[in-house]
Amino acid sequence: MSQASQAVRNRGRASAPSGARSGRPPEQQEDQSASLRRRAQNRRARRETLFGYAMVASALVVVVVFTVAPILASFVLALFKWDAISSPEFVGLDNFDALLSDESVTHSLLVTSGLAVIIVFLQVALGLGLALLVAQRASKIVQHLFRAAFFLPMLASAASISIVMAYVFNDQFGVINYYLDLLHLPEVSWLSSTGGATATIVLVAVWQQLGFTFILFVAALGSVPGDVLEAAQIDGASPARMFWRIKLPLISPTVLFASTVGLINTMQLFDQPYVMTKGGPGESTYTTVLLVYQTAFQNLQFGYASAISVVLFAVLLIITAVQFTVSRKWVFYS
Amino acid sequence: MSSGILKEQFSRRGVLRAGVASAAVAGVGGLASACSSGSSSSSDSKVLNVLVFTDQASANKLSTAAAPFEAAHPGMKVKFTGITGTDWNDFFSKLLTQIAAGNAPDIVSVATEGLQLFAAKGLAEPLDDYVKRDASELKSYFADVHPALIEAMMYQGHLYELPTDFNAGNMFYSTSLLESAGVGRPADDWTKDDFYDIATKIARKGGSAVPYNWVVRLWGSWTSWMYANGGNLLTEGKWDGGDWLWNTFYPNDPAASGRKGGWRWGDPTANSAPVVESLDYMIQLQKEGLSAKPDVGGGATLQGLFASNKIGMSVGGGFWAGGLHNAGMKTGSFDVQYFPKWRTQRHLFGAGGYGILKSSKNKDLAWEFVKSLVSAKNLDVLMPGNTTTFPRKSMMTAERYSTTGPKNWHVFYDTLTKFPETAPIPAPPYYQAMAIALNKRTTEAMSSGKAKAALDGLQSDLETAMKTG
Repeated sequence: MSQASQAVRNRGRASAPSGARSGRPPEQQEDQSASLRRRAQNRRARRETLFGYAMVASALVVVVVFTVAPILASFVLALFKWDAISSPEFVGLDNFDALLSDESVTHSLLVTSGLAVIIVFLQVALGLGLALLVAQRASKIVQHLFRAAFFLPMLASAASISIVMAYVFNDQFGVINYYLDLLHLPEVSWLSSTGGATATIVLVAVWQQLGFTFILFVAALGSVPGDVLEAAQIDGASPARMFWRIKLPLISPTVLFASTVGLINTMQLFDQPYVMTKGGPGESTYTTVLLVYQTAFQNLQFGYASAISVVLFAVLLIITAVQFTVSRKWVFYS
Repeated sequence: MSSGILKEQFSRRGVLRAGVASAAVAGVGGLASACSSGSSSSSDSKVLNVLVFTDQASANKLSTAAAPFEAAHPGMKVKFTGITGTDWNDFFSKLLTQIAAGNAPDIVSVATEGLQLFAAKGLAEPLDDYVKRDASELKSYFADVHPALIEAMMYQGHLYELPTDFNAGNMFYSTSLLESAGVGRPADDWTKDDFYDIATKIARKGGSAVPYNWVVRLWGSWTSWMYANGGNLLTEGKWDGGDWLWNTFYPNDPAASGRKGGWRWGDPTANSAPVVESLDYMIQLQKEGLSAKPDVGGGATLQGLFASNKIGMSVGGGFWAGGLHNAGMKTGSFDVQYFPKWRTQRHLFGAGGYGILKSSKNKDLAWEFVKSLVSAKNLDVLMPGNTTTFPRKSMMTAERYSTTGPKNWHVFYDTLTKFPETAPIPAPPYYQAMAIALNKRTTEAMSSGKAKAALDGLQSDLETAMKTG
């Protein structure tokens, strides 16, 4: 018999008067009441577990129906030729075979990767820079104001922001070119030149997502132990040295998180190029998800579009794995 | 204390009960919704679902056109649903997704852009038998409609739609901008050189207005120059068939001579000399500051800029009359002329109509309704305020355009009669892939200044699209 059950038995003996009233031997009555308590506890635990499952069930259903099932479906669909109207035709790996010689897929992956690297770098660098400025110099009220200001664009949908920005950056009547003209500066072909369109997409994407990295870094910098910074200050460390040697290593997990999430999001860039440039001029802003959308919903090649999605998924998986592997050398978990 | 309140307000049992109740309500709601949508369910067989390319508020206004039909067919209800989109490609994507999801309407508005797409996919019902059956009733309609519009609604020898509207690519101009540049109304047979002279004069005058502007799309884009230059993106041909229609309705009409069973779009010719030359001309105009950098899309921005007197000349169709008037342009401040002559003075046009879907369980009634839509009275309801060109010539009157302009409104319909070689835009069954490729390669050419390279790319894109269908 274990020590625990012996202890229960001993505690049962201490409450003998209640058992004496039933006319049974006290030991037997104590055992019975302990067993009843255990059963009641088990029932409560089961109810709580069920309640917990019930609470997450609705969210789980949404995730399964709208995320997990489509992901699995796209893996299956990638093996079929299907125009959504006639019956699907099994083609095995033909879609993947066709992908290898499709220049638009390779090109879109290159465009997307290029945009992703620039956007994530700017989001992390600017987010961190602004967080440092705000955290170090501003009062609490000003800090809150800055947090709200930088986070505000994230509350609007990317599509609606893109519509507004398409007008703001319009070559012919956009506000930006209007002011450039007032200042007697040359107008810029924001959306009708290759470089201009890429820069505009980057600008809009960074502007909208900056609040996310900014908030992350403000929180991370706030959690850097004050005594460590104080000790460094007493030792005469310059602000730059304190940043590179203390703050940055301590917030490196946040840098990894921000860059990983940013990269995953940016590799799926769609709204800005779809609304503002339609992937143009030419294919200069033609991202992979835009290609997937047009292949599936406009060219009605759902199987082929699914195959492109699977490739994008694999690319993202590899990039993330590399990111985590490399991070072992520069991320410090305290 | 707060936990006590929470326990009182959200007891587990209460929450679970509420959850079950909500699920039940949602289920019942979903069921009710499923029962009320689509024409395929038995309880809903008295509803004709019509899908139109517009917003829902405008779609609701169309119900006036259904009133006489509903009165003539007691128990029938016509339900108009609007779908918005940036262009026809966007609309077709949404429509095809809806059809794939099992929510196919009975009738759908489809323009030239999508007619062959829907016919080739076996989604649209040919109207031949209905038209033959009701030939006597339809004689007055066909007598009033130019055969070019009818032929544009045919595919592989079958008629799929009765045209309800059309727009030819003419040249709109700002009368005040031309006058200020010392230029009068161009002659009917004006040429590309005349156009260039006028554009140069407007540019010399200075100011913020651009002499010429256009939009990247298939209809009325640089493609109008391509047609005038005798080029096309695809090899032109005609399907056999349709004799029954021409013999029945246009027996002695010279305009019906040579008409067959619809346009047959063959191998791509996107990098042929006249096509390259046309796009090169657009690049030249842009480089010389005679044309603005074109936007991609439906053309609303272009119309807005024209209405603001920021554009001297632009390609436009009959729908511009109402559009410019609604945008605030006064009658007389703009006018329209035929597209200038290059090697030819051939124009392009696009036509619209209502098709019946094969999946409809009310095809006979759908036909009755479609037939009722082409009456002059209903066409007025469908397209109010000169927002299109009517296919019935009798409806094109001076009185109609007296409130909106333009002064030379007759140009809209006369384009078909004056230039018999005028043809519909090249919209094959793979129109959607073609539209994407055209936008992509046009913007490439305009940003790089290399028309030939871009059109070589377009040629390759179209060849691929043609193969994959």
